[in-house]
Amino acid sequence: MRIIKDTHIDFMRHRRLGALLSAFVILTGVISLVVNGGPKLSIDFKGGTLVSVQFTEPMDVTAVRLSLGKVNIDGQLFDLSREEIKHFGGPAAISVRVPHLENAPQNFAQKIVDHLYDNFPGKVPENKTDFILGKGSVGPKIGAELSGKAVMAIISALGLILLYISIRFEFRFALGAIAALGHDVLVTLGIFSLFGYEISLPIIAAFLTIVGYSLNDTIVIFDRIRENVKASKRETYKKIINRSINESLSRTIITSLTTFFVVFVLFLFGGEVIHNFALAMIIGVIVGTYSSIYIASPIIVQLHENAAK
Amino acid sequence: MKSKLTPRLLIIGLVLAWAVWAIWPSIQYQGLSDAEKESLREEGKLERVESRVIKQGLDLKGGMYIVLEVDLPTLMENLAINKDEKFNRTIGSIRDQLVRTPEADFFSLFTTASSDNNLKLSRYYYDYGSDNGDILSALVEEGEDAINRVLEILQNRVDQFGVAEPTIQKQGSQRIIVELAGVQDSNRARSLLESTALLEFFIVKDVNTTNEIMIKIDQVLKGDESIASVTESIPEEKQTEPSESDDQTVSVSELFGETQETSTPSDSAVVDQNMYAERPFSSMLRNLGQSIGVPEKNTYAVRKILERPEVEEKLAAIGGTFLFSHKAEEYPLVDGTVEKMYSLYLLEDEAELTGGVVEEARANLGPQGSTSAGQPIVNLTMNSDGARKWSIVTGSNVGRQVAIVLDKKVHMAPNIREKISGGGTLIEGFADINEAKDIAIVLRAGALPAPVDIIEERIVGPSLGADSVRRGTQSVLIGLAFVLVFMLIYYRISGSIADFALIWNIVLVLAVLASLQATLTLPGIAGLILTVGMSIDANVIIFERIREELRKGKTPKAAVDGGYDRALTTIIDANVTTLIAALVLWQFGTGPIKGFATVLFWGILISMFTAIFVTRTIFNSFTSRKGITKLSI
Repeated sequence: MRIIKDTHIDFMRHRRLGALLSAFVILTGVISLVVNGGPKLSIDFKGGTLVSVQFTEPMDVTAVRLSLGKVNIDGQLFDLSREEIKHFGGPAAISVRVPHLENAPQNFAQKIVDHLYDNFPGKVPENKTDFILGKGSVGPKIGAELSGKAVMAIISALGLILLYISIRFEFRFALGAIAALGHDVLVTLGIFSLFGYEISLPIIAAFLTIVGYSLNDTIVIFDRIRENVKASKRETYKKIINRSINESLSRTIITSLTTFFVVFVLFLFGGEVIHNFALAMIIGVIVGTYSSIYIASPIIVQLHENAAK
Repeated sequence: MKSKLTPRLLIIGLVLAWAVWAIWPSIQYQGLSDAEKESLREEGKLERVESRVIKQGLDLKGGMYIVLEVDLPTLMENLAINKDEKFNRTIGSIRDQLVRTPEADFFSLFTTASSDNNLKLSRYYYDYGSDNGDILSALVEEGEDAINRVLEILQNRVDQFGVAEPTIQKQGSQRIIVELAGVQDSNRARSLLESTALLEFFIVKDVNTTNEIMIKIDQVLKGDESIASVTESIPEEKQTEPSESDDQTVSVSELFGETQETSTPSDSAVVDQNMYAERPFSSMLRNLGQSIGVPEKNTYAVRKILERPEVEEKLAAIGGTFLFSHKAEEYPLVDGTVEKMYSLYLLEDEAELTGGVVEEARANLGPQGSTSAGQPIVNLTMNSDGARKWSIVTGSNVGRQVAIVLDKKVHMAPNIREKISGGGTLIEGFADINEAKDIAIVLRAGALPAPVDIIEERIVGPSLGADSVRRGTQSVLIGLAFVLVFMLIYYRISGSIADFALIWNIVLVLAVLASLQATLTLPGIAGLILTVGMSIDANVIIFERIREELRKGKTPKAAVDGGYDRALTTIIDANVTTLIAALVLWQFGTGPIKGFATVLFWGILISMFTAIFVTRTIFNSFTSRKGITKLSI
């Protein structure tokens, strides 16, 4: 069986269109990021408290919101009704996210759980431990450290990859690959911001995996280009690159499809905890495949043309 | 040709045999029922099996993850002697700085602050050296020593608490990470870890002194607008929770010995407004005879008042300190309703005796015939030094109240009836026997050299964990099934070779995880799924190359050789870059991320092995046969 026969698509002819499309998507994302004041960071990075609880029957978020308007902890009143309160996985589960509060009492997460448990009698499991799906609180110190570490991780990964590609290929290729990676991360970040999804620790892992996947895809095409450049020195760079993309197209499509399917299954059936992780991966697979052809390759063509002039 | 293949087949065979051996306990363990596990435990074999099983992370089996940090400012305060106003101010300013910039290092702040304030450290720490530099480096060591002792004490407590496979480790120089799998009652575990276990015995000040200081506090606060902000939330209470008892008229009784005021209908549920203007502090309190009652809803306001500097000044002047009881109790009111109240005690500010003297602590139920009959209690036995001091303290204070204080909370304040000389005493005032047991544990394990703060806490309920496992496994199986079928359709017999390699790939990754004693987390399962994708990619690259070679008219053998040779560099370059990403993730990662990175790293390495080595050997064993003219690809 063969899906992709020998193709002769002139990918590079549409490279300006590709650049335009990418610019548009990235710009939309960046505008959204600016409007929202940066990416929406989870408690992993900002510090704060997150509780998720399981009721015995479907709950109305507004009712929960109302009940959290006055949380009385030993006479200290908290209005949590404006915090992020939403369904978690199903209609009977609710998650509440509260940013770090300077005056928060000890064991704040448990106090919120207790408040919800006491406020909805008859709608909660008999045993309180069955009520708690999960809870967590992160101090601002941990959050600040993690943010620093995450930035360091991404910078050092990019640096090492740049170095590796420069050694194995050419510096030009490395620039193309890094541009493609930056593109992928920006697009995913922008889409996350547009839809209001938060960036948590697992999402950073997803981002780095996207980086890995996108690179994998880019390198496979680069490898073809390297091989074809050696074989035919007479052809123009543009033609060689077009031919290389066409020759590796069937592999690109099959791998992308299988990987896409696998992460899509994860997205559908993986459960609430992994949901956003899988979403980032789905976006990453699509964008990563696209960027190898329309970001990384055109940059090499452009850099080569500039050098030839 | 056959002879060339033999060593390769041998290697493959050995690796596969090892993988089966490594993964077998995990499969066996999955099939065990609880009863079978129990019988294995009795035979002492369970531990051996468990040590070879892939561990599930807290996000999969439920449990708690806690990061504790030693409170260095308090440790330094505890170590200092001759503390004065200047010293306290310096430490206080460092505390404020740490709140504002949590990532700052305590000791560098301490160094700057002491030189800025011209603080001579030798005054407070003369045991540690003479100049500030020496003292500071000695204090740094003291801090490190403290964390090691904290670690040891926590280990001791957790061991006695009885959780399966607890993990307690030090992270950096100030933190301890505790992982307790399958803990149901996270509150109990939390207080067990957080408790400083500082046991102190204080003499309670007499009623007259208490009354006087309360009047003084009232006078200090009278007319102060700012305390209205602390208490203003209280009247609101009435509108929000109309069903609760406290919105009914509650009389505010006069304190200590004075005549009880009859209930006056008032605007506020808790505070008598008429009295409030005159006596802002007393009006929030109730008379409970032996102690002062603080209605639960007033606790925050009362705490805030007691923290005010002018109030602290008044307290310091008489050498007293206010402490709350450790839990609120229900008291009947004159109008027949019940109110939950904390007790507040005015104590001498120096402890008569501290918990260092405790030799043994046991939880029990109170003996028949005593006041605590049937109640959970903790029996204390003191060492000889403690017993001697205790008999002096009790002997010279007969008739007065002694407060037994644990972690700055009063557990009980009985009257001393006679001199106690045996060194034994008992503490009551626990909610249930479990709490008494936990307190006995922390008292036995000893007090922490410094308080610890919980700076990160994550708890996954068992149901969410089980749900994650089920869904994760389901996703892996569905994804895997799709990929296997797709490869079979698309590449036919060659596809089946790739499928074979893929399955082995997964088995090998799990085998490596089992033998590394790594923990499988939810992101780890995601990593496994990604590995499936990566492993298939390597095969796709190879097969597409072989197809190309075949289209050029090469023989199957030449096509396979050519395809593999050309695909090799591509696969290595593509995988090494992903490997770099995985390594960086591993370096950066904590907990779940690390799990993901571990799986990804091994997944990539193994997929290179299976794609390049295993499948090639299989292909070669086909193509080396004479007379093969067609390749099913």
